[in-house]
Amino acid sequence: MRCRYTGMETMWSLVSLLVFVLALEAQALTPSHYLVASDVDRLQAVLSQPFTDLKSAYFSVVGLSKLGVSVADSNDACSFIKANVDSSSIEALFYAAEASQAISSCEIHVSNETRDSLHAAVSEDSTVSQIHQAVSALSSLGLPLASQEVVSALKARISKEDNVVAITLALQTASRLSQQAELGEILEEIEDLAARLDDLGGVYLQFEEGLEATALFVSAAYALSDHVDMEPPLKEDQVIQLVNSIFSKKSWDSLSEAFSVASAAAALSNNRFHKPVVVSAVGPATVSHSHPLLQLHVTDVLCQPLSSANVLVESATSVASKAAILSQTPFTLRDGIFELNFMASKPASGYYQFSVAVTGDSRLVANHVELKVKVSTKVAINNMDLSVVDKDQSIGTKTTRVEYPNKGKASFIADSHQNFAMTFQLVDETTGVELTPHQTFVRLHNQKTGQEVVFVAEPDSKNLYKFELDTAERKTEFDSISGTYALYLMVGDATLENPVLWNVADVVLKFPDEEAPSTVQSKNLYVPKPEIQHLFREPEKRPPTVLSNTFTALVLSPFLLLLILWFKLGANISNFSFSPSSVLFHVGHAAMLGLMYVYWTHLNMFQTLKYLAIIGSLTFLAGNRMLAQKAVKRYSLHHL
Amino acid sequence: MSSSVISVISRFLEEYNSSTSTKLKVVDAYLLYILLTGALQFLYCLLVGTFPFNSFLSGFISCVGSFILAVCLRIQINPQNKAEFLSTSPERAFADFLFAHTVLHLVAINFVG
Repeated sequence: MRCRYTGMETMWSLVSLLVFVLALEAQALTPSHYLVASDVDRLQAVLSQPFTDLKSAYFSVVGLSKLGVSVADSNDACSFIKANVDSSSIEALFYAAEASQAISSCEIHVSNETRDSLHAAVSEDSTVSQIHQAVSALSSLGLPLASQEVVSALKARISKEDNVVAITLALQTASRLSQQAELGEILEEIEDLAARLDDLGGVYLQFEEGLEATALFVSAAYALSDHVDMEPPLKEDQVIQLVNSIFSKKSWDSLSEAFSVASAAAALSNNRFHKPVVVSAVGPATVSHSHPLLQLHVTDVLCQPLSSANVLVESATSVASKAAILSQTPFTLRDGIFELNFMASKPASGYYQFSVAVTGDSRLVANHVELKVKVSTKVAINNMDLSVVDKDQSIGTKTTRVEYPNKGKASFIADSHQNFAMTFQLVDETTGVELTPHQTFVRLHNQKTGQEVVFVAEPDSKNLYKFELDTAERKTEFDSISGTYALYLMVGDATLENPVLWNVADVVLKFPDEEAPSTVQSKNLYVPKPEIQHLFREPEKRPPTVLSNTFTALVLSPFLLLLILWFKLGANISNFSFSPSSVLFHVGHAAMLGLMYVYWTHLNMFQTLKYLAIIGSLTFLAGNRMLAQKAVKRYSLHHL
Repeated sequence: MSSSVISVISRFLEEYNSSTSTKLKVVDAYLLYILLTGALQFLYCLLVGTFPFNSFLSGFISCVGSFILAVCLRIQINPQNKAEFLSTSPERAFADFLFAHTVLHLVAINFVG
């Protein structure tokens, strides 16, 4: 019992592990946003703007040095820095020191007081930004600094200033300290910060503080990781997502943003652990007989070609037939571009899925790329045979062959007893292989009326295209308009380099009944439509007036009968006492009945109820009195 | 068979004429009138159809309601039933009759359109 249970468990865990591994493999991310050569030039141009102050000089000089370019006029820059440095400001000293270090043979001398003020800035009371500026200035100026003090000050400040920018500056500061210092705790901050990144759709990874913060984090993280020689805790997919975020913006709002992108690009292209690879095709990924080479740019994030890498096609399979054409074929490097002569393997036209691997450096990230390559070709039309076939096959077919791009000399005449037929073959010009392009249309164009009808030519099992026009059957498409139609063949496909529009011949069609007018009105959909007359509700059928009048009289007649009966019974009003209450009662009652009539003709319920309340209460009081009197009379009579 | 029916009817009519008081006969005449009116309305509706239905209903229900109220009045003022209506004097019955009729006519006029 126990053995069977553990067996099941291991099986399921193996299955899930397999699925998990497969899922991971399927999701290898490659950069979708990266800088191309023109973007790098633009970045350089932004950083090469003339300096306005010391801060912009710092961004320009240091930014350009990160791109591997030296500033235009280094002497000019050096003198500008020296002129604008303010020894009392830590920030100015930072900019000056960093910029002067980026320029060769530019040295700034500082007094002892300045040096002391820089040392004093390294304390728990300064902000992380101030500590960073002081430490960087001291380091760039070649002055000694006490690393352990810096570390303890940083640790104290990090716990107080827990935001992304401050911790990034702390990381950057730590990368300038001595390797003997205890940087372990600060190193752990990289992982904590990485956890704060927002994953947007699995494509981007960035801080909510924005592009600059993300870029500065990347450069600081790699600077510190390189300094302590420990791989940063960033997974490959995360690195690529960071690349997507940082390089998605191709024009930068401010000098500081451009500087941050430049330093991130420098960090990602030149650190000890991760080197993202950008593989893109030169132009469209299309090969043909005239352009047999598949050319790829294989570069780092700064668009510099990876000359030392080996680029290999692991497999190239046809999308349509799933047959493998290439396996483990290397690219050759020429002028910074990797090339492969794909046409040498004589692929059929169509789309191919390439799986490219870039090897040669253990740091490479996203070095397996999937690429879709199109092989295009030229089509040739062979054996174009046109014939007019009699429907009952009594007269033999007369087949005329027309060569592309000529037009058939004689027109073909087909009336309702005949069919017009066309057969042809579409082949690859170079290999002679039969092709079935996506679009093979036969268009008949009436020159006089401008009418055109388009049919599709279908290939049979042997890839021979056939088109038959039955004049009688198709007369509705032509609106039964007889005349001369120019016959065109249209051939097109994404993989064809030479789409074809060929006027093959003229066909005279004779339709049996021609009732349509000679000029065809183009079927205009936008003319006013016939007006719809609104049909009002028909009144109900009423009975004839005579009948209703008769019945009105009939319905009122029982009243007469009632009066007669009452008279016969001897009912009378001789006992009517003219007391005020009885008079009032009868008047009130009559008024109520009159109110009913008025309600029917004029009033609504609310008004009626109002009047009824008034009249009714009067009638009630009067009636009550009257009936009481009657009761008294009756009582006295009966109890005499 | 028919002769026995006729004799029963004539016997009934004799009894009726002799034992019923005039007051009750007056009410009975009124009942007959209401009945005839209602029947004629129904006949008209059968002949020409129910349009407008609300008018027909109003008239017919008015007749039916009046008939019922008159029957109630007759029961209550019949001295033979005095034992069951100790607390209700004939005057009170008549007052109830009038009040109920007011409500009935209000509803009927509202509905006749």
